[in-house]
Amino acid sequence: MRTPESGSAADVRDALARLRAAGPALRRRSRGERVEALGRALERLRDPGSAERRELEAGLPEATGFAPATVRAGLDRALAGWTVRSLRELVADELERGGKARLATGFPVTAVLLGGAVPTPTLLALAAPLVLGSAVLTRPSSHDPVTAAVFARALAAEDALIGAALEVTSFPHDDAPAMGALLSAECVVAFGSDETMRSVAGRISPAQRLVLHGHRLSVAVLGEGAHSGAALDAAADALALDVALWDQQGCLSPVALFVLGVESVPVALLDRLAAAFERAAARLPRGRTQLDAAAAVAHERDTAELRAAAGESVRVRSGPAFTLVAEPDARFRGSPLERFLRIHPARDAAALRAALAPLGPHLAAVGVAGLRAPAGGLEAELAGLGVSRICPLGAMQAPPLAWCHDGRGVLLPLARLADVEE
Amino acid sequence: MTRAEIERELLVWMREEPELHDERRFERLALALFAFQIEHAAPYRRFCEARGASPATVSSWREIPAVPTGAFKELALRCFRAEATVKVFRTSGTALARRGELHLDTLALYEASLVPSFEKGVLPDLAADERLPMFVLAASPTEAPDSSLSHMFGVMLERRGTTESACFVRHDELDVEALLAALEAVASANRLLLCGTAFAFVHLLEAMEERGRRLALPAGARVMETGGFKGRARELSRETLYAWIGERLGVPPGRCVNQYGMTELGSQFYDSVLREPEASRRKLVPPWVRVSIVAPESGREVRTGEPGVIRIVDLANTGSALAIATADLGRALVGGFEVLGRAAGAEARGCSIAADEMLLANA
Repeated sequence: MRTPESGSAADVRDALARLRAAGPALRRRSRGERVEALGRALERLRDPGSAERRELEAGLPEATGFAPATVRAGLDRALAGWTVRSLRELVADELERGGKARLATGFPVTAVLLGGAVPTPTLLALAAPLVLGSAVLTRPSSHDPVTAAVFARALAAEDALIGAALEVTSFPHDDAPAMGALLSAECVVAFGSDETMRSVAGRISPAQRLVLHGHRLSVAVLGEGAHSGAALDAAADALALDVALWDQQGCLSPVALFVLGVESVPVALLDRLAAAFERAAARLPRGRTQLDAAAAVAHERDTAELRAAAGESVRVRSGPAFTLVAEPDARFRGSPLERFLRIHPARDAAALRAALAPLGPHLAAVGVAGLRAPAGGLEAELAGLGVSRICPLGAMQAPPLAWCHDGRGVLLPLARLADVEE
Repeated sequence: MTRAEIERELLVWMREEPELHDERRFERLALALFAFQIEHAAPYRRFCEARGASPATVSSWREIPAVPTGAFKELALRCFRAEATVKVFRTSGTALARRGELHLDTLALYEASLVPSFEKGVLPDLAADERLPMFVLAASPTEAPDSSLSHMFGVMLERRGTTESACFVRHDELDVEALLAALEAVASANRLLLCGTAFAFVHLLEAMEERGRRLALPAGARVMETGGFKGRARELSRETLYAWIGERLGVPPGRCVNQYGMTELGSQFYDSVLREPEASRRKLVPPWVRVSIVAPESGREVRTGEPGVIRIVDLANTGSALAIATADLGRALVGGFEVLGRAAGAEARGCSIAADEMLLANA
């Protein structure tokens, strides 16, 4: 495990050579042994008493801007289910289903170009190729230089041989030769904006495997069973938690709430949501806000207030750390993030479907509460729009290890498959 | 004061004393216009009331509540009857994004404001009645009647352009060959102006590169470009664009002027480079406009040199809203201001799609 401060193209090429050399030893470990070691490394990060967990909690707030309490809560929730057992289940789920004689192997080296400040996607992105026996060279995002290095140390502490197959590199974003060297790996995984995706895709040859995770967004749906009373309070707290964790920066963070079965957002419901967001802000303070993000929030809030002044049925509730805007209709308007949530009435499932349809390629998850059981065809309709995860409110930031990330799975997109027929 | 009285005074200021910076006059007219707009635009009045602002409580232009530019996409912000509208300028739009609109019941003040700023920023070395070849990398006002930029170019072309002057974006396409031929035809001219959107310049430079073409425009040539690259496949820093213009057109960066303007405003801001070539580049502010840089959360002005949100009070906006809160970041400099773009190559902090990114992705 090596984590250079800043590298050149030659450093990246050297790292790739070391990783190719480390590959055979990695693959001599059985998949089960690799899963055990990776699972134990994740457990180190989950353990509040471990050195690696302390390192994450100490380093992430400064590096990412998230408040310490948010980092703690975010890691606790995301890692709670990320165990050796669940890693085994992921392997069984994706690679061993049906008992067919199918071999799944990783590429010699997988390059992982990380993005953003949210640490949890980093862990899965680094662990998945290693499960398949692929060495990993990763370049962390400038917003989170901490997580990849800490995970690499945790893995090396569990199993030095496997740890030697994970290296962290670093170079400026405009160092084209270094980026070219990184993107020469047999398999490339990239996280980032559409612009980053286009740039990376343009430099990959047809012989390489390319797995892109572009920016996405999630929404929440409140069914009639949670429009009032204790069910509403519980749903409001759960939603406020999903928004507060990672300050709405994650692709699993809801940016809008659709209230099903109403023509307009009830004022009482809006007020209960505002109270829940206040409580969440007290428990999980909002982190550092970049100037352009703060400007966008102020701009959108003032615009909503002016729309209200003009007689539109728009209501605004805001506090120092959140903004809620009740919209007059289901038309999706987007959010500047930073705990800014729009709340839309959706008369029925058809109105919801019509509102979400334009977002299809960008939809990640839908958090739900209070839907009448069974929810009928709503799940199928959401899946048909492109949603890859439907889960209860409050669980949006804690996807299971075996979730079908971006609708494709975790391991399969990185694997070379071979069927053995008799 | 009535609006007519305010406009009469402004027209005199813009036409006869466009260089005169008069703080007391500005303050008086700004407060009078605020009082007028509060009275005649009910949404703005309620917006101000919610902030405790009224003519009785506001004593300085700095205290006038600013309308976010986003509101122009939502409402017809006007202080006159809809039937009196003579012109609607619209922002560029995408498939999902609404277009902002500026409604005008007169073009007199709009044009009176744009002319001296353009002349001061782009043509400071020309005599008052001197014309020059103007090659516009934008659609004509006839082809794009709701584009404020095309309108501005149309006004200036008629006022200061020679007979060779023309617009070279036709049916949404830049006519590269016609433009290059026109430029070659005036190779002996001492002065000429190439002006248009930054993205049209990129298109021209790419086309020239593909054709292996270079021009050495005369020393008196100048470039005026405006607008950003949002939603475009290619994004360049201003420095890169100007270096490219120098390489392909022979116009050095010191003769490239950026204009900062927006559909929602009656006035525009130009770089100081042609007017004050020895001084550092900054945006010049017309005397009937004030620009302040504020902290987004508190709305309080930040210190000179510190970054913040650009807030503008423009007396040319008599019929809509004189105080505008932009979504742009900038910083105040001595004698002007600077517009700060997002750092090139800067990564988003998260993997969720912010509103503008999503809208662009769906464009």
